[in-house]
Amino acid sequence: MYEFTPMGWLKHCIFHPIEGFEDLRWKKQGSMKIALWIVFFLFVAMVANRQLVGFQFNQAYTKVFNVVPLLVQSVVYFFTWVIANWSVCTLLDGEGRLKQICINSAYSLVPYIVSVFLTVFLSNFMVLDEIIWLSAISYLGLGWSVILMFQAMKAVHQYSVLKTIASIVLTLAAMLIILFLMILLLSLFQQVYVFFYSIYTEVSYRIRG
Amino acid sequence: MKTVQMKKAFKKAVASLLALCSLSTAVLTAYASEPYDSYSYDFWNDPIPAQAAYKVNDTYTGNNLNRTRLTDPEDELFISTTTKTSLAGAKDIYFEETLEEFWVADTQNSRILRLDKDLSLIGCYTGVDKSDSGNTSFNNPNGVFVVVEENGDVMMYVGDTENSRILKCKVTGGLTCENMLEIGMPESAIYTSKSKTFLPEKMLVDGAGNIYAVCTSLNAGSAQFNAAGEFQGFYGANRVEVTGEIIRRHIWRLFASDEQLKSMQSAAPTEYKNFDIDDEGFIYTCTEAANTTTDAVKKLNAAGYNIWNNDAGNEYVFGDIVTGGTWDASTNTTYSTRLTDLDIDEYGFINILDYATGRVFVYDEFCSLVTIFGTKSSTSDQKGSFNGPNAVESAFGNIYIVDGIKNDITVYSTTLYGSYLKQAVLLYDDGRYVDAEPYWQEVLNRNGTCSFALLGLGKAALNKGDYKLAMEYFEDCYAQTSYDRAFKYYREQWLQDNFVFVFLAIVLLFVLGITYSILKKKGIIKKRERKVKKKAPERKKTKKELEHEAELAAQAEAEAKAQAEAEAQAEAQAEAQAQPEEKSEEKEEE
Repeated sequence: MYEFTPMGWLKHCIFHPIEGFEDLRWKKQGSMKIALWIVFFLFVAMVANRQLVGFQFNQAYTKVFNVVPLLVQSVVYFFTWVIANWSVCTLLDGEGRLKQICINSAYSLVPYIVSVFLTVFLSNFMVLDEIIWLSAISYLGLGWSVILMFQAMKAVHQYSVLKTIASIVLTLAAMLIILFLMILLLSLFQQVYVFFYSIYTEVSYRIRG
Repeated sequence: MKTVQMKKAFKKAVASLLALCSLSTAVLTAYASEPYDSYSYDFWNDPIPAQAAYKVNDTYTGNNLNRTRLTDPEDELFISTTTKTSLAGAKDIYFEETLEEFWVADTQNSRILRLDKDLSLIGCYTGVDKSDSGNTSFNNPNGVFVVVEENGDVMMYVGDTENSRILKCKVTGGLTCENMLEIGMPESAIYTSKSKTFLPEKMLVDGAGNIYAVCTSLNAGSAQFNAAGEFQGFYGANRVEVTGEIIRRHIWRLFASDEQLKSMQSAAPTEYKNFDIDDEGFIYTCTEAANTTTDAVKKLNAAGYNIWNNDAGNEYVFGDIVTGGTWDASTNTTYSTRLTDLDIDEYGFINILDYATGRVFVYDEFCSLVTIFGTKSSTSDQKGSFNGPNAVESAFGNIYIVDGIKNDITVYSTTLYGSYLKQAVLLYDDGRYVDAEPYWQEVLNRNGTCSFALLGLGKAALNKGDYKLAMEYFEDCYAQTSYDRAFKYYREQWLQDNFVFVFLAIVLLFVLGITYSILKKKGIIKKRERKVKKKAPERKKTKKELEHEAELAAQAEAEAKAQAEAEAQAEAQAEAQAQPEEKSEEKEEE
């Protein structure tokens, strides 16, 4: 019955929040390539929101532009979410595979990304009194994405509503743990590096002296 | 022709380079003349270097204050040959505007000095003529205030700290003054319930003759007396600063028993250290306790209500904008802001002195930062840096700072940059943005990063209707709300100018849309068919499968080959069989 192009499937999922992801699942559709493009555009939207928003709306510290926090907030958070969700739901009898989780999560981010681009564009033509339109658009996009994300997780793992909520809460906790361990690992490796570097300096002083 | 031009260009380049070099050295020398770095804060509260608005004019100690007059038997101001001529721990300075005289509380010498406008000694008061208690001399006076009454009488109010009294005395000569009123510790229970001591420090008298005294360790505000010396109550107490400790105590109090409550310390506000009164009768206070954020500087009306109330949604910030303290690399110390004295000058500028860093913060009447100068560093022996800055006063566009450890008075005069800046700020505060424009331009020529100047020029451009230029200025100084207003007008103007095009574009789009839908309905434009990928994408064959296929193909080939060989063999056999027959036939024929 449903036969679309890959982009058609994306549209179908976004505009049919109730059964869109179920159809996607049963038809074994969804493109990894499109999902990765969406994650890239999430990053671009973050950058645009910081750099291209109308001057009167810009709350950021514009003296310095550092891309790393934005990269972490978009790409790293997304993949942490995917991995955390996969790890949690594998234990909770979820049926989703890593690839499916990635595709579904990315697809459900599209309304948010679109709303960010839209507000960034419109903020260049609006004054502070009209900020209500911008916040309305961004809240709409965010709310839509949240609903889609919920439905996507529900469909991909074939969960009930309550189990989906529980899995999302657990996923957030798992994300925290993963990020914490990553930071720990980084600092440990830094310590190791410093240790070897100090040995190197010590030895080089001995050799010279 | 070309070479001549090139030579000229080369000469020009060299000349400008040399000019640049000499200019930079000139700038360096100018920079070195001040022992401090002037700076200001930008939109993000980052310190930005600025030109100095004040420069050190001179430093006055005993001799150049003409204080040898006190030890010269020939002089009318002679006290004794052993009288100390230098200052000792001076705590207060007051400028009287009608007489144009300075009055200094020379605290540790227990005397009040009267200086003319050139800071030359014209009077010295060590006590009053008579007293009810019999004690006629001052003892460590911390504050002095002078009022010239309508009949020309000069009234001196002295906070005679160690004698626990306030004295109002009429100046009768260079060395003598007459005791008019002596205020001791108030006996009212309102006072005694708050404090067991009465140590008046800083003095103030308002237009109605009410006397205000800041007392040591009295945190209920300043003690207020009427003109007759009767205690009226407390004025303008600070509030308790909400810190983590206060919140913890508050929560603990909810569960504590009565006995525990009794033994618990109550939350007390910090007292303000100093105050000043402006021409309109508003009283300004400043709090010395380190890093105070609540009520650091207040502007009080007659009822004691703080007009600069941050709880009412304002964002007034005074002193250095740091949490925890300022790190000074030259002395390797961390300073905590301690605003010890403030002064309102005749134009409404507020000069606030920070005891810890020796910096003077100059604000305009709306609390916008104008400039910062002064220092307290290891080079305190140098002119213009302090050791114990105690009091600040302004007159004739100069700023006077009394140092209680170096025992001198430093005079700062306004630089050219400073005078342009102050003039521009005054016009700006009056709302005369366009009049202020040339002054702001001069300021900007000397200090390109002055965000106040950019704001002023932006507002001038906005008033003139040059919205695009105003937007550029506002963007440079990051004034978002002002930018927003300029942008609003700019957008309006743009729409008015281009209304026809905008209208035509909208009509055109509308018409196009209608024709498209009509054409679609009539079937002239066919609906675009969707490309549907029906076939599942071909699966990539695995290596094994490929091998298998190759094997199969090889097998088939081998089979075919074998078959062909077999056929050929059979044919050959048949031929061979036929041949002997023929041969035999031939033989038979033979």
